[in-house]
Amino acid sequence: MVQLQVHSSPHHKRLLRVPQLVRRASVVPLGRIVGGTVYPGLMVTAGLIHYVLNLLHVTVHIRDVCVFLAPVFSGLTSISTFLLTRELWNQGAGLLAACFIAIVPGYISRSVAGSFDNEGIAIFALQFTYYLWVKSVKTGSVFWTIGCCLSYFYMVSAWGGYVFIINLIPLHVFVLLLMQRYSRRVYIAYSTFFIVGLVLSMQIPFVGFQPIRTSEHMAAAGVFALLQAYAFLQYLKDRLTKQEFQTLFFLGVSLAAGVVFLTVIYLTYTGYIAPWSGRFYSLWDTGYAKIHIPIIASVSEHQPTTWVSFFFDLHILVCTFPAGLWFCIKNVNDERVFVALYAISAVYFAGVMVRLMLTLTPVVCMLSAIAFSNVFEHYLGDDQKRENPPAEDSSDEDDKRNSGNLYDKAGKVRKHVSEQEKSEEGLGPNIKSIVTMLMLMLLMMFAVHCTWVTSNAYSSPSVVLASYNHDGTRNILDDFREAYYWLRQNTDEHARVMSWWDYGYQIAGMANRTTLVDNNTWNNSHIALVGKAMSSNESAAYQIMQSLDVDYVLIIFGGVIGYSGDDINKFLWMVRIAEGEHPKDIRESDYFTPQGEFRVDKAGSPTLLNCLMYKMSYYRFGEMQLDFRTPPGFDRTRNAEIGNKDIKFKHLEEAFTSEHWLVRIYKVKKLENREPLDHKPRVSNIISKQKYTSKKIAKRKRGYIKNKLVLKKGKKLNKKAV
Amino acid sequence: MHGSMLYSTCLVLITGLIYAESSLVNEEVKRAVDLSTHLAKITAEVLLSNQGESAVHSFIVALEPELAPHLAYIGVSVKGEEDEDSHLELKETTIKDQSGKFFQVQLPSSLAGGSKLRLQVETVLSHVLRPFPTHITQAERQLVVFQGNHYVYSPYPTRSQTTRVRLASKNVESYTKLGNPSKNEEIIEYGPFRDVAPYSQDAMKIHYENNNPFLTISSVTRTIEVSHWGNIAVEETIDLRHTGAILKGPFSRYDYQRQSDSGISSVKSFKTILPASAQDVYYRDEIGNISTSHLLVLEDSVEVEVRPRFPLFGGWKTHYIIGYNLPSYEYLYTLGDQYALKMRLVDHVYDDQVIDFLTVKLILPEGARNIHVDTPYPISRVPDQLHYTYLDTFGRPVLVATKSNLVEQHIQDVVVHYTFNKILMLQEPLLVVGAFYILFFTVIIYVRLDFSITKDPAAEVRMKVASITEQVLTLVNKRLGLYRHLDEVVNRYKQSRDTGALNSGRKTLEAEHRTLTNDIASLQARLKAEGSDLADKVGEVQKLDGQVKELVFRSCQEAERLVAGKVKKEAYIESEKSLANRRQELVTRIDSLLDAL
Repeated sequence: MVQLQVHSSPHHKRLLRVPQLVRRASVVPLGRIVGGTVYPGLMVTAGLIHYVLNLLHVTVHIRDVCVFLAPVFSGLTSISTFLLTRELWNQGAGLLAACFIAIVPGYISRSVAGSFDNEGIAIFALQFTYYLWVKSVKTGSVFWTIGCCLSYFYMVSAWGGYVFIINLIPLHVFVLLLMQRYSRRVYIAYSTFFIVGLVLSMQIPFVGFQPIRTSEHMAAAGVFALLQAYAFLQYLKDRLTKQEFQTLFFLGVSLAAGVVFLTVIYLTYTGYIAPWSGRFYSLWDTGYAKIHIPIIASVSEHQPTTWVSFFFDLHILVCTFPAGLWFCIKNVNDERVFVALYAISAVYFAGVMVRLMLTLTPVVCMLSAIAFSNVFEHYLGDDQKRENPPAEDSSDEDDKRNSGNLYDKAGKVRKHVSEQEKSEEGLGPNIKSIVTMLMLMLLMMFAVHCTWVTSNAYSSPSVVLASYNHDGTRNILDDFREAYYWLRQNTDEHARVMSWWDYGYQIAGMANRTTLVDNNTWNNSHIALVGKAMSSNESAAYQIMQSLDVDYVLIIFGGVIGYSGDDINKFLWMVRIAEGEHPKDIRESDYFTPQGEFRVDKAGSPTLLNCLMYKMSYYRFGEMQLDFRTPPGFDRTRNAEIGNKDIKFKHLEEAFTSEHWLVRIYKVKKLENREPLDHKPRVSNIISKQKYTSKKIAKRKRGYIKNKLVLKKGKKLNKKAV
Repeated sequence: MHGSMLYSTCLVLITGLIYAESSLVNEEVKRAVDLSTHLAKITAEVLLSNQGESAVHSFIVALEPELAPHLAYIGVSVKGEEDEDSHLELKETTIKDQSGKFFQVQLPSSLAGGSKLRLQVETVLSHVLRPFPTHITQAERQLVVFQGNHYVYSPYPTRSQTTRVRLASKNVESYTKLGNPSKNEEIIEYGPFRDVAPYSQDAMKIHYENNNPFLTISSVTRTIEVSHWGNIAVEETIDLRHTGAILKGPFSRYDYQRQSDSGISSVKSFKTILPASAQDVYYRDEIGNISTSHLLVLEDSVEVEVRPRFPLFGGWKTHYIIGYNLPSYEYLYTLGDQYALKMRLVDHVYDDQVIDFLTVKLILPEGARNIHVDTPYPISRVPDQLHYTYLDTFGRPVLVATKSNLVEQHIQDVVVHYTFNKILMLQEPLLVVGAFYILFFTVIIYVRLDFSITKDPAAEVRMKVASITEQVLTLVNKRLGLYRHLDEVVNRYKQSRDTGALNSGRKTLEAEHRTLTNDIASLQARLKAEGSDLADKVGEVQKLDGQVKELVFRSCQEAERLVAGKVKKEAYIESEKSLANRRQELVTRIDSLLDAL
């Protein structure tokens, strides 16, 4: 049985991401209409496969379809990578590229069974769109371009990364123009692509009018206008003399550029075109998010990439792909310009954000394959009988031959009556074998690394933790699901759970309960409010929780088993995000010691030791002695004895704690009928007021109610009541 | 027909008389009430005697109106001397002016006047133990109240009776003290009471500590899917609830882990016993595999230690799915086209189980007909459904049956008879074969035929040229083969010196060569007509071939001269060598030309 792997694990949080399939329990007060605000591609694909299979009475459960969608699509990615590389170089490089992308960790992370994720299908769409684009630039046929548009449409429906395509293809065209490589084929391909692609992309409800109203899409429109102008000038060139043409050319180009530029500025100014969004600023300025949008910076996937993770995800390919790029640039043609641009831009984006490593991976695979293939071609040459090594147009030749024969016949190799020995150029057999061996060893190490990473990093679900004993037996810590299932079974169906947004999807999916904020919450202030509740003291938090109508609070606490991804370790982000919205109530500096340290022991700041998160995490933990060597209340994650061991709750009560204390759920008590006093009633020697009776009502010796509304009976009009 | 009707009227009259007279008397009743679990199991040993004259064929077993709704199981057996007890058949009836539940028990042999019979009446009641207080904290112990009857509820007078109540613990809050009962540890003994009138009731109330987990299966759906390929898949979807005293206040994991008596009435785990041949057992719920379970394969059973994801406290519930496969040869019997499936209608989940509501779904193979079900006890059938699984075309028949309030005594076999045509087993494999056949066939059709809308003249010409060159290639190769053939003939001639053979060989070569050359020439003309520049190359090949032919004939002549002794051997070898060299050269040129085609 396949364990459903929920990919949004506590430390791999993704912000602004499309939700998983099941989103019944949406966010309570500030939810959004799921239908119009997600990329539907993933769900439509899975649903369609499920529908077709069931139509044929292959009764697969939709869950199984979802689980195996990513692996199936990674197969398709391999095929389209092969096709693309074949277009760029030759068949051998294509095969190598397909092999690389099949095992490279950077892509395996999104294509393991159970990762039902937009990227899983989007990378296929990306590669296939690029293949069709290269094909259409090569042939200049509308057929291929329309195919490219359809593939682009699928990409738009699947992932927000389609913006990469709609910027890269215009860039390609632009650079081709600069390189004087303008041709009719480029004109046909881009004009068709821009118009049809634009119209198609606007059909996705979530995208809507963005392609004509946001800055991200303006480059495409600009290049389109430029291309039209260029084509027009080319047309004029045939009709005019050289002198006339030159003046006209400069005039025309500068005029066109000026008009386009001014239009864009005017439209932006008047608000027809939205300015760059914060997410895109953070792509240019890596420090931007940290200052302006702490919530984006708090996501580990949005951190700049380290060298380690480059090596971890790509291994040897990261070293060989520049060589492939060099080969491409050396023997440049239209489509190789494209792959060079693809490589350069992807490298930049991958450097900015760990998450965008994903777009880099395919191009690295392709270019490395080109490099390896070239080396092998050179050093394994003695088997080859080809007179001219396939450099420029071998693939074209293949194509022609393929189109000539309608089907592949098993190649009838003609027996040569005479066999001539052709002498190869002077490479000694030693150097050949040494280089070949070296290359093979590199590839072998790459394969070993990929299997290791796949089995260690990407094959275990992150909701189920496993620990190993000294003798190698495995302990499974299934606390997350334990607690979520408890929520699902033993709380009211409409109960609202407050937790940090990381666990929003998990609670919605596994516990089937409504959350306040989740991984897809757009409203920063709402998240900040939850952060404020967590970082305030209990009574202040209670007021927030009352106003948000919270029934349960869920936190993750790793102090017992030493789990580092718990809420106390994330707490500073909560404080920061809360401070961003409520600077008067929450100040980050309050949570640090005077020395500027964040500590949970006795030396920690009193604000921290009394905030709700701290109290919920360490409630009754002070009594617990985990080890004989450590004092009671010793936090294994932070290696400190906790500072506040006497924790009492007034408005909360412990509802559930999982077996290893990883998940703790607290119930928010309803307001009591009468607020019990913290102090004794004041004793005074004033005689009780009951003894005082007003003269007016002294006649009636009954009890009275103070300030009671006195009903005055109707009186005659002339006797007005005062 | 008429006679039988008369007879039945007589029977009704007679039974009516029995009720009216009731010559039966409970001579001695020993009742044991077992309250040590969350069920009330009442076993009454009755010595029934017939005081009247006439023989009695049946008697009545009664249940108090207060307990009647809780009745899960009632069974009556005759206490045999040595051999096992024989169970008697029960039929529910009513008695005028009396409330409660009544069952008419048919005696195995009529009880003559004055004779006695020892019977055992077994009753199991569920949900009669009421937790009181209804809400307890984690540290508190669970107290329950049992309300029953001090006397045996019977339509017959009772001469003497005793009641022995077994409790779960010796801690008793209170109990009714009719007839000064004696209490010893966890046992309370009432009676003996003598000469109790029929239908007499006196409330017995016992309030005691019972920390047993009050686990109840609020609903279970048992799906049995029969495959004739040798497998029976069983899946049970179980909703479990702790129906004891409800947990009040917080649940503290710390106390639960550190203090052994904290949450004493909660359920940590229980054992489910599956059939011995059960394989591929799985235990999961909506969010995946439940990792906290253990499987123990014993000799006569498979034991699963089922641990819910979290301990079940009072009022908490959980839900899970347990499933396994069984080999069908143990449960499926066949005779020709007749099949009989003998399976447990409900299986063991935990000891002393209570099932509030059971749904059984029996999925038979596609094409099963004439379905007939034999149930061990009455069970209500719901209209049959159809189930579609992999590659089904018209659906599998599903028998659905429901029953409420079941206990362990209901674990009995159900037998389903049906007929099934064995040919139908081939349907699904053939379907797959057919589908693949169609797929491949379409691919073949698609690849072989040209579906393009527009004609591409250039491609057409290219194809034509390609096919012509292909033909040219084969012809040229054939022609070269002819030369080799002649070489052999010449060699043979050199040994045998048979001029006739040589001449005939040469003649055939001439003839064949001419036809081939002509063929090639016509192909060359066609190539030219297509406007291909390959025609020139073919012409060149033809020219070269003429030279080759010349050389071949010359070598032939040389050989003749050698044989005739006109040339010396050395000179011949020399000339042969030069000829062969020239031939080789020419052939190579032809080859390279052909390669370029």
